[in-house]
Amino acid sequence: MDLKLLLSWRLHLTVIVTSMLAEWVGIVRIPLGPGTLLLLPLLYAFIIGVLLNPHLFSGMGKLIPKPVSHASGPIILIAILPFIAKFGSTIGPAIEQIIAAGPALLLQELGNLGTMLIALPFAVLVLKMGREAIGATYSIAREPNIAIISDRYGLRSPEGIGIMGVYVVGTMFGTLYFALMAGYIASLDILDIRALAMACGVGSGSMVAACSAALVEAVPASKDELLAFAGASNLLTYATGLYISLFIALPITEWMYKRLKGNTPAEVRHES
Amino acid sequence: MKASQTAVDHFDAEALKELRPENQLGKTALVLAAVCISAWFSNVVNGAPLLDALPGMLILYAMVMVGLGIGRVFPFYLPSVAWVSLISIVMTLPVFPGNEWILEQLAQVNFLAVVTPVLAYAGLALTGREFAMFKQTGWKLVLVALLVFTGTFIGSAVVAHILL
Repeated sequence: MDLKLLLSWRLHLTVIVTSMLAEWVGIVRIPLGPGTLLLLPLLYAFIIGVLLNPHLFSGMGKLIPKPVSHASGPIILIAILPFIAKFGSTIGPAIEQIIAAGPALLLQELGNLGTMLIALPFAVLVLKMGREAIGATYSIAREPNIAIISDRYGLRSPEGIGIMGVYVVGTMFGTLYFALMAGYIASLDILDIRALAMACGVGSGSMVAACSAALVEAVPASKDELLAFAGASNLLTYATGLYISLFIALPITEWMYKRLKGNTPAEVRHES
Repeated sequence: MKASQTAVDHFDAEALKELRPENQLGKTALVLAAVCISAWFSNVVNGAPLLDALPGMLILYAMVMVGLGIGRVFPFYLPSVAWVSLISIVMTLPVFPGNEWILEQLAQVNFLAVVTPVLAYAGLALTGREFAMFKQTGWKLVLVALLVFTGTFIGSAVVAHILL
């Protein structure tokens, strides 16, 4: 990628103005039923970014030319790194608490298997999806999971299309969805807030960011502890997630898919 | 189906490899400086004035570069995210020399303010293909994806809740 595009002052200045505007609006709390929906500045920043995107409104090409918009893609990967560093700095000081919570932290990785429990039956029985459903639901569809599917089935297979769809959705809306969901579930006050923090760790960097930030807003008093747990859980996801999805999640998904298809014989005939 | 196919075309493993930040440290150093400046300004509103946050931002910059450098020379592959976070953890451990000063400086950088510009870049980066995918058959996958995220989150939270 051309360095001139990557360092385009139009792009970075637009981002600075957008971010400062979003920060200025600040956090908005909307009561919803028994819980509260938290709107964070990152949500407004994303929406402003989309509205300024030249691919959506071609008039915006005057502000951000299309090649500059393309350069913004690889920049995301780098832009998240300072945040990851800030995030890690919450783990170091809390290392003793994290070691004390060790077993819970390790085993909650198995909770990742929750991906297919709701989503797979829905995809197969309600949406009548084929083998795309396997790729789409066996994991949270981040880069390591894509690597597994690509290795096993190829990315142009139905499984590959399934995982790429979820990957794109995750990239576009995952961050926002995690923030909204985590803030809401925290406000319901059913599950231990530390457990929710660990659950935040399942996603990609920006998902973890938004998710734990939303939790901190819901329970500001335990800020340091929450960030430390989410960060440690995310690190473990990177360390163990690959093996869990390869050796446990994918075989279970295959098995469940066969069972679900077996229960709907009409669908099988229709396909063959 | 057709729309999802374009998503696959969009994902080019080779291109992604080329873009891995640790594979071109020089370019990454410059881009990283630019994104740090964005975060630095974003931090002014709810974090700290520019000068107060400067040491903290420089520490974050250094942590990222050290992490990427180690990732580059290490014999086996770990995502750069994992390296950066490891460096940052080590540097803030109670046994690390000067960890209190580091934490003091980092406290000037607001946690949320650093993420806000990332999402602005993300909004600006969406391509015509991605918009097209959502106009066409993307809705099924959107629905499934949201269920996947919900399932993982609640699954992990319930397991952790029982064990805590």
